[in-house]
Amino acid sequence: MEILNAKNLSFTYPDEDTPALSNVTFSVSEGEFVAVCGATGSGKSTLLSLLKREVAPMGKMTGEIFYRSTPTSSMSPRDLAFRIGYVTQRPEQQIVTDKVWHELSFALENMGLPSDEIRRRVAEVACFFGIEDLFDRRTDELSGGQKQLLNLAAVVATYPDILLLDEPTAQLDPIAASDFITMLKKLNSELSMTIIIADHRLEEIIPASDSLLVLGSGHIIAFGKTRAIASSLRSNPHMLTCMPAAVRIYSELANDDDEDKIECPLTVREGRDYILRCFRQDIKMRKMPEYTHKKSEALSFRNVYLRYSRDSEDVLRALSLTVYESELFCIVGGNGSGKTTALLAASGLRKFYAGNIKIFGRDIRSYKNGSLYSGCLVMLPQDVDTLFLCSTVEKELRDAGTDADSLPFKFPKAILDRHPYNISGGEKQLLGLAKLLATHPRLLLLDEPTKGLDAWYKTKIGNVLRSLTASGITVVIVTHDIEFAAAYADRCALFFRGSVVSSDTPQRFFAENSFYTTSAARMVRGIYDGAITADDVIALCRANGQRNENKQSALTGVT
Amino acid sequence: MKGNETFERNNPASVFVYYICVVAPVMFTMNPVIITLSLVGSVFSSFIGQERIGVRFHIYMLILFAIMTAANPIFYHNGETVLFVMNDNPITLEATIYGTVSAAAVISVLYRSRSFTLYMTSDRLLYLFSILSSKAALILTMALRYAPLYARHARRVADAQRAAGLYKERNMIDDIVGGGRVFSATATWALEYGIVTAASMEARGYGVGRRTRYSPYAFKHADIVLTATSLLLLAVIITAGAGGSFDFTFYPRIVAPPATVLTSAAYTAYGILSFLPAILTVIEVVRWKYLMQKI
Repeated sequence: MEILNAKNLSFTYPDEDTPALSNVTFSVSEGEFVAVCGATGSGKSTLLSLLKREVAPMGKMTGEIFYRSTPTSSMSPRDLAFRIGYVTQRPEQQIVTDKVWHELSFALENMGLPSDEIRRRVAEVACFFGIEDLFDRRTDELSGGQKQLLNLAAVVATYPDILLLDEPTAQLDPIAASDFITMLKKLNSELSMTIIIADHRLEEIIPASDSLLVLGSGHIIAFGKTRAIASSLRSNPHMLTCMPAAVRIYSELANDDDEDKIECPLTVREGRDYILRCFRQDIKMRKMPEYTHKKSEALSFRNVYLRYSRDSEDVLRALSLTVYESELFCIVGGNGSGKTTALLAASGLRKFYAGNIKIFGRDIRSYKNGSLYSGCLVMLPQDVDTLFLCSTVEKELRDAGTDADSLPFKFPKAILDRHPYNISGGEKQLLGLAKLLATHPRLLLLDEPTKGLDAWYKTKIGNVLRSLTASGITVVIVTHDIEFAAAYADRCALFFRGSVVSSDTPQRFFAENSFYTTSAARMVRGIYDGAITADDVIALCRANGQRNENKQSALTGVT
Repeated sequence: MKGNETFERNNPASVFVYYICVVAPVMFTMNPVIITLSLVGSVFSSFIGQERIGVRFHIYMLILFAIMTAANPIFYHNGETVLFVMNDNPITLEATIYGTVSAAAVISVLYRSRSFTLYMTSDRLLYLFSILSSKAALILTMALRYAPLYARHARRVADAQRAAGLYKERNMIDDIVGGGRVFSATATWALEYGIVTAASMEARGYGVGRRTRYSPYAFKHADIVLTATSLLLLAVIITAGAGGSFDFTFYPRIVAPPATVLTSAAYTAYGILSFLPAILTVIEVVRWKYLMQKI
C-alpha cells in the first residue's frame, strides 16, 4: 500500500533563481526501505525536509505531498509530528534534555500520554535498542554513536510509520554507523517501518535497501528497485563514484551482452562471487612502483605516554612512530585507540608525561611562544566549525591573510558570501585547509577530514592533499575512512590501545589485514594480491580477461 | 535491593516533605531539647546513612560550632550567673548556653542541607520542579544540558585556533582579544545550532498539545508511609509548640517549661523525626541481612 507520495514537487530557496528541486514525483509503499543518493547539493536534504513539514525550509514550494493519500498540508500538526519521524546528521544538537530517560520520553510527553503509558513505551524502546544501561546517564557523556541511536530511539518511541533520515551516519565512525544501519534494518524488517534515508555511506545502505532514488541537481535521475538502478548507473560515471565497490567493479567490467545474464552484485560476497565466476586469475598482482620515503623526519614519537588525569588510564602507551618529510601518512584505528590524542600531543595541545616528540628533528618542548604554529605545524580539528570566527567565508579567508585566488587549489567562489556554518561539509574542509595554509605550514595534521563527505568531495580533498605533499608539505591524517587511506596514503599505521601495531604502505597494509581493510580488498582476498581499491581490482580483472568457460556455459544456458 | 544511601529509593517529593518537617521546628524554636535532638540526629544520620559526606565537612562543622558557641558569651553579657570576667566583661552561664544552643541549631540545619543536596541530584530537583510547572522544568533541563556543552565547545574553539596558528599569544592583550573571539565564536555556534535543536523539538511534536509529565519516580507505598509519618510527627510538635510547651527562657535566668505529657510526646516525636534517616537505614540493613540469608 502506498504510504507516501510526492507529486510534481518543486522547491526554490528564497533569493535563488534555480530551483533546488524540480518536478520530483515518486511514491513509497508501506514497509519500503528507500535509499536516496546524489552528490552534495543535489537536493537530498531539501527533499527529506519537505517531506517533514515542521522542518521544511522557507521558500517557494509547488506540487503536493500525500501521506496515505491525504495531502500533508491538510493533516493535523499532531499526526504530522508523530506519524513521520525525522533524524538529521548532527547527533549532539538534536538532543533536547540532559538525561537519556528524559530524552526518550520527551516526544511522548509532547503527545500528552499518561505517565504509565510513557513508562511502558520508554522501557520497550530502551530494550529494543539495547540502551538500558544508558538509561540514567547524562546525554553529554554519550559517544556520537550512542547519541545518534538515542535520537533514533526517541523518535521511534512515538511509533511513527515513516522514518526520514538525513545523513544520520555522517558524523559517526564506521562501527557506530554500522550499528545504526543495523538498527534501521531491524526496524524495517521487524516493525515494517518505512524508511527513507539519504546518506553517503552507501556500502552498507544499498544492500539493505529495496529501492534507490537517485537525485542529480534537483531532478530524479532514476528511481526503482535497487539492483536494477545500480546496474543502470553505468552510463553515469559521476553517480557511480558513490556506489559500493562491487557495483563500481561490475559497472566497469560487465559487457553489454553479459548484462542480462549476471545480476549486478551489491555486497562484498556477491562481488567476490562475480569475480570468481567471470575472471581468470593468471596474473596475481599489479606491478606497482615501490614507495621510498625521504630520509629526514618530519614528526616522530618515541615511547610517548599520555593520560588526561592522574587517576585515569594511559591513552598513549609507549607510542613510537615516525613520519618522514612530504609523506601523506594516514593513522587508522578504532574509537578510543588514541589516534586523536596522538594528534593533540603532536600539536602541543595536550601534555605527555613520558617519552619525547620531535617536530622536524627538534624537541616539541623547545618550540616556545607559539613558534610551533608559525610556519611549522598546524592542525585541522575534527569539528571544523571551531576554526571559523567570521560572518562570511570571504572575511574568514581575509582574517587568515589569504584570498580565494592565492590558494594552491581551486576554491569554490560561489560560497564566498555565505556564512561558514552554512556551507557543505566538503566546502568547510576546503575553507579550513585554506585558513591553515595561509600560515605556510610544513606539517599539516588533519583529524577526520573526510567525515560526512560525499565521494566527489573525498576525491577533491584527496587530490588537494596529494598536491600539497608533492610541494613538500608533510600531511598526517587521522581517519576512520579506510577507503580514503587506501586510495591516497603513502603509508598507513594501525592504532590499537594507544600505540601503533603495524605501519606500512597501503598496498601491503590493507592486503595483509582481513577485517580492518577496504571492501575491495575483502572482495579479492586470496584471488588477487595487493589489490585494495576498486580501481586496482578493475585493472587486474581487465588484465586477466574473462573466463571462456563462463561464456560457454552461459551460452549453453541460453540454448 | 540495598540502597547505597538513605532515601535513595524514595520519591523526591516525599523526601522533600520529610526535610521540611525536620528542619521547620528548629527554625521556630530555641528549645534546647529539640535542638539537641536535631543536632545529634542529623550528625548521627549523616554518619550511618551518607558515606559521601567527607571527613573535611565534619571538621569544618566542629570548628564552626566552637566559634559560634564562643562568640555569643563574648559579645552578649546578659544573664545572672557570671562564670568569670574577661577584659572587664562578665561571661555568663546563660549567654554561654544560648550560644551553644543557637550554634547547635545552625550546625544541625547545615548537616541537613548537606545531606539534602547530596540526595537532590539534578534529576530529583527537576522532578520537584516539574510538579510545579512542566515548562519550567523543561527549560531547566535544557539549561543543565547546555552549560557544560558550551564550556566544552569553547575549549575546542580555543584549541583549534591555537593549533591553527591564528593566535599570537605573546602578551596579555592578545590573550584577551583571543578570548573574546573564542567567546563570540561559541555564542554564534550556540545560536546556529540552537536552530537544529528547535527543529528537532518541533519535529518531535513539541507544542502540538498539552504536555504531560513523565518521571521515573513512582510514588510508592514507602513514600506514603514516609510522608504520613513526617506530617503526623510534625503535627504533634506543632500542637505542643502552639500551646507554648516549648517556650524556653534564657535571660535573665534559665527557665524551662514545665514537663507535661504533651511536651514529652512532642520531644519523642521530634526524636523519631530527627533520627528517621538513621532508623530507616538500620531497618534496611537488618532487612538486607535477613534477605541475604535466603540467597
